[in-house]
Amino acid sequence: MIVSRWVPLLWTTAMVAGCWYLTETLSVRNDLEGLLPDGATEAQQVLLSQVRQGLSGRLILLAVEGAPAEELARLSRSLAEAIRANGTIGIVANGVDDDQETDRFLIERYRYLLSPAITTETFSVAALRTSLEQRLDDLRSPLGVLIRDLIPTDPTGETWRILQTWSGGNGPMRYRGVWMSPDRSRALLVVAIKGGGFDVDVQESIQTAIRALFDQVVKQSGIQARLHMSGPGVFAVEIQRAIESEAWQLSVVASVLVVGLLYVSYRSFRLVVLSLLPIVTGVVAGVLVVNQWFGFVHGITLGFGITLLGIVDDYPIHLFSHLSGHESAGSVMRTIWPTMRVGMLTTVIGFSALLLSGYQALAQLGILAIVGLVTGAFVTRWVIPACIGPRFIPLAVPRHVASRLDLLSTGQVLAVTVLILASAILIWSDTPMWEQDVTRLSPVPEEKKLFDQQLRRELGAPDVRDLLVVEGSTIEELLEKTEVVAERMEHLRTNDIIKGYDIVSRYVPSRRTQLERQRRLPERTVLERNLAEALNGLPFTPGLFSPFVEAVQRSRLQEPIGPEAFAGTMVGVKVESLLFSQGGRWMTVVLMSGVEDRWRLTEAVEAWKDLSISYVDLKEESNRVMTAYRDRTLQLLGWGIVAIGVVLAVGVRSVAVAVRVLTPVLCALLVVAAILRGVGEPLSLFHVATFLLVVGLGLDYALFLNRPGCEGEERLRTNFGLLVCSGTTIVVFGVLAVSKTPVLHAIGVTAASGALCCLFFSVVMARRKAYVA
Amino acid sequence: MKLRRLKVVSILIAGVFGLIARGMADDLSETAWTLERLAALVKVQRESTIFFEETTYSSLVTRPLVTRGVLRFTPPSRLEKEVQEPYRERYVIEDDLVTVESERRNLTQTLSLDGYPGLRGFVETVRAVLNGDVKEVTRDYDWLLEGGKHRWVLRLRPREQSEGMIESIELTGTDGHLQTIMIRFAGGDRSVMTLLPGRLP
Repeated sequence: MIVSRWVPLLWTTAMVAGCWYLTETLSVRNDLEGLLPDGATEAQQVLLSQVRQGLSGRLILLAVEGAPAEELARLSRSLAEAIRANGTIGIVANGVDDDQETDRFLIERYRYLLSPAITTETFSVAALRTSLEQRLDDLRSPLGVLIRDLIPTDPTGETWRILQTWSGGNGPMRYRGVWMSPDRSRALLVVAIKGGGFDVDVQESIQTAIRALFDQVVKQSGIQARLHMSGPGVFAVEIQRAIESEAWQLSVVASVLVVGLLYVSYRSFRLVVLSLLPIVTGVVAGVLVVNQWFGFVHGITLGFGITLLGIVDDYPIHLFSHLSGHESAGSVMRTIWPTMRVGMLTTVIGFSALLLSGYQALAQLGILAIVGLVTGAFVTRWVIPACIGPRFIPLAVPRHVASRLDLLSTGQVLAVTVLILASAILIWSDTPMWEQDVTRLSPVPEEKKLFDQQLRRELGAPDVRDLLVVEGSTIEELLEKTEVVAERMEHLRTNDIIKGYDIVSRYVPSRRTQLERQRRLPERTVLERNLAEALNGLPFTPGLFSPFVEAVQRSRLQEPIGPEAFAGTMVGVKVESLLFSQGGRWMTVVLMSGVEDRWRLTEAVEAWKDLSISYVDLKEESNRVMTAYRDRTLQLLGWGIVAIGVVLAVGVRSVAVAVRVLTPVLCALLVVAAILRGVGEPLSLFHVATFLLVVGLGLDYALFLNRPGCEGEERLRTNFGLLVCSGTTIVVFGVLAVSKTPVLHAIGVTAASGALCCLFFSVVMARRKAYVA
Repeated sequence: MKLRRLKVVSILIAGVFGLIARGMADDLSETAWTLERLAALVKVQRESTIFFEETTYSSLVTRPLVTRGVLRFTPPSRLEKEVQEPYRERYVIEDDLVTVESERRNLTQTLSLDGYPGLRGFVETVRAVLNGDVKEVTRDYDWLLEGGKHRWVLRLRPREQSEGMIESIELTGTDGHLQTIMIRFAGGDRSVMTLLPGRLP
């Protein structure tokens, strides 16, 4: 047997080379971007770019708790200083005014172009007189100390007005100069992180850095306090880490159980070790191909893919179960190979549905599974037989176990009852058929979501859900349009359709508007004359307002400013998130809050009859994206089953056998759907994707049972093999089903119950041939 | 007649005793006129409603600016400053929140006292003194009490200069009556509030 010596050697060489190549080239990415579906429609794309780089994704909300308010205020100041000094994290705001220095600088220079209150009237004698009298009253009011220094340069109060417009009201409550919750139990800070990407690793390193700075600050001050972080980025990191650690723990548990089961079944360490070869090879090959194809492997694909490839284990199990000691492993393999081949082919067809779903994460999963499956089957076909020596004597098949399975073949009554019951549940259950709310798939605990919402309320941070998308071909065109939209928004607000809104024109006026304001600024002589007349009889120090005259004159010659001038400021962060280019066009979003009646809002927006403005309900929209993918996957599942039917019919050269093989699988799907519905789980994309896996498993079972010559001793061996196969599958996915992560749980429950149902229906519907015990 | 004489005698005796008592009290107070005693006395003698006249001196203007109005105090923490002349404006401060009603600025809003640094120093010190709460004052301000019971000056300086824009606060009074409150601001401006007891509305 020269071959048997060369094959293991070749395999070892290939594996070593593959592993080496992987360590050199493998790039695992954890950004959510790679995982998110690319929206098909424009509205979907906007939604996704909002999620990926929008303000909400870049904001981390910080809450410092657990100390008296005075000390919290002190900690808030020190923490903000530390974050600012660090320089790599981003922009931080905690209510202290000095963080607005750059904003103030812009206002100081451009207030006559930025202020919405500039009209031709502003600089008339009468209006100036009113302004000056107001400033006099300000001076003798508690406001005096705040605005005293501004009076000589800005007697008409534009600075105040602009700040008021920008903050959109009064902003969060303050205590000792910093933002604090109304009950003063926590100091509030906001960090807008640098960069637009939504990389979980970057997010995590930033969050770790913030935490380290906080610990340092706490240590220096000696005040005991806690730091809470919230926001989409924080959740993303938590989800990722939770899934990772869970996937790790669950796979360790599952592996131990599977190896245990295999050992109990075959009582041979050698077979247990050999059964791992196809899986390991499949994983290495699959990851390699995905990495070459996409340039990276997503962390989550890696985790799920390896779990999916657990089914490769079925191939060596079939082989081991058919070993009798009379024949060499190679010749046993040759007899069962045609069946295994058809099974592999049909499973591959099932998984190709994932490839076509258009959802990158599912596509990666599909390729990983297909390559792994084919490789695993080939390793079982050629490598394992070469590793089992001709003198290997396997454990005799435990007849009492294997034969008992055949008792089920008399269970048609039971099968029919189960099917009727399942149909009844499917028809009459109260559980909605499909999961409509994507947020329910999120593993973030409810109390954390509530805490996040509370922080948002206290901070006045937007909870992005309802928005208008406005388009334009240039920034200027878009800004001019938003100025019109802003008036309409004000109308919506006064009509109580919305409570508030945030629009880019609030921060950056269009060039046209700025130039118009500029034209309203009077010449020096006119201004001086008006001012002198207005000052008549007022007790202001002579010459006090010459800085004002200079500032107005300077503004008359200024070049208008655009959005880029705000870079690096808190307002800039806001502007960036509201205004972005997409495929050569410019887009802006108008965030709306307090939308009570979405139907009225939709009607109001439609009444504008402006095609460049569309209303998007983000929550509805993300549900729609997921629903679209689910429907597509469902459709592919349907076509997949048809294709599998054809391949089957050709492969086994009999339509009757193909029907006999396919029927139990379809029955199993029906029952699994009923089980899920019965336990109150609406179906999501992940359930549907797992149906494919169930189809693959079930076909294998049915194919082996309906193999020509599957009777007598052979039938016993097949039964035993199927028991071990389904046993390992149920163990692996049953462990997954206890996961707290909704996605993992969905896959686990579906696959475990699917394997059980497939086994049951396959045996019940298998050809009944009496065997000799 | 007898009865009347008795009455006169008793009044005389009482008067003498009263004088002796007052003299002793004065003696004691002159030797130990403390912040605690000042605060305790103010707490007893405070008036819940009192007129004020406030004069602001600023380098921006050539003559002082005057406002007049009423201060109202409801223990323990509600303080109201109502400006009646030359414009109408009302500040109601409760704990750390101030509600502003301003006719001239056409607004009504409630926000943290931090939004009005000029008001905060005033509220904190006046409220604490009216409440007889010495701790409140000594925690955030360095203080110096000068003079005696009949004529005292309490000078206060905020510990954390960076926080507010107030340089110093000076309260003067006689016995338990607050007479003037002067606030010196960082820019050199100052405001002097004179309380006018007896001119009740």
